[in-house]
Amino acid sequence: MIPLRPDDFISRRLRIAGVLIVLGLIVEAFSLIWNHPLSFVAFLGIGGFLLFLGIVVYLTALVSPRQS
Amino acid sequence: MPTVVVIAVLIIALVIVCLVVARPAITAGRGGKILAFLGLFIFPVLAGTLGFENHYERSKQTRFCLSCHIMEPYGKSLYVDDPAYIPAAHFQNNRVPRDEACYTCHTDYTLYTGGVKAKVRGLHHIYAQYIGKPQQPIKLYQPFNNRECLHCHAGARSFEQGATHSAIMDDIKGNQMSCVSSGCHDMVHNVAQLDHLKYWRPQP
Repeated sequence: MIPLRPDDFISRRLRIAGVLIVLGLIVEAFSLIWNHPLSFVAFLGIGGFLLFLGIVVYLTALVSPRQS
Repeated sequence: MPTVVVIAVLIIALVIVCLVVARPAITAGRGGKILAFLGLFIFPVLAGTLGFENHYERSKQTRFCLSCHIMEPYGKSLYVDDPAYIPAAHFQNNRVPRDEACYTCHTDYTLYTGGVKAKVRGLHHIYAQYIGKPQQPIKLYQPFNNRECLHCHAGARSFEQGATHSAIMDDIKGNQMSCVSSGCHDMVHNVAQLDHLKYWRPQP
């Protein structure tokens, strides 16, 4: 197996974080225009969770030792 | 914060994140790193905070409370054409803001001042509404607190100096005598009787 270059490692983590954050932001945007008792649950439970996960992936990518 | 502003922040965040996802190589430079930090940390946190505040304020609105099917009769009771009905008289005469009518008199509800226990109850309400079976008729968890009346009426001249209220003021302020269940102002929502009443129709 070919080891990942540092740039590949960071790029992959950025992509994963980005996709999670995009999904979280989309859920949050829909929850804001959805007048429904479940909109707050969707905002916090789904959107908030995805955002949190994305931010954690991004921050851990910044502090992780690079693969070489 | 208006919903439009929150949506604008969300869109800005989306654009930056999509840029970073599509071209992660831009993060090699200093400017790209700052852009990634803005898009993957600062803007999502900002959008989440503003969105939370927006939802928080929206859940005070009368239409939010009435969006649960079980609350519809309580909304209907605000239009009863009888001044003896305390919530209706307050709602129709703007003694409470119409768009936050429920929250004005039920400030201890779920997200606000009720603490963790009340938040768990809020989740239970969602469970009962969508998965379980709501209890009929619904009831307050605790007796109605005079505080809800006093946060407007306390200090009002007609209330403080009126012979009836001033004679029992200590009992009212100490919750020893309930405003709504001691036989004084006991016509509240009375949803069981709504089919037999006349209704006020506001002028458009």
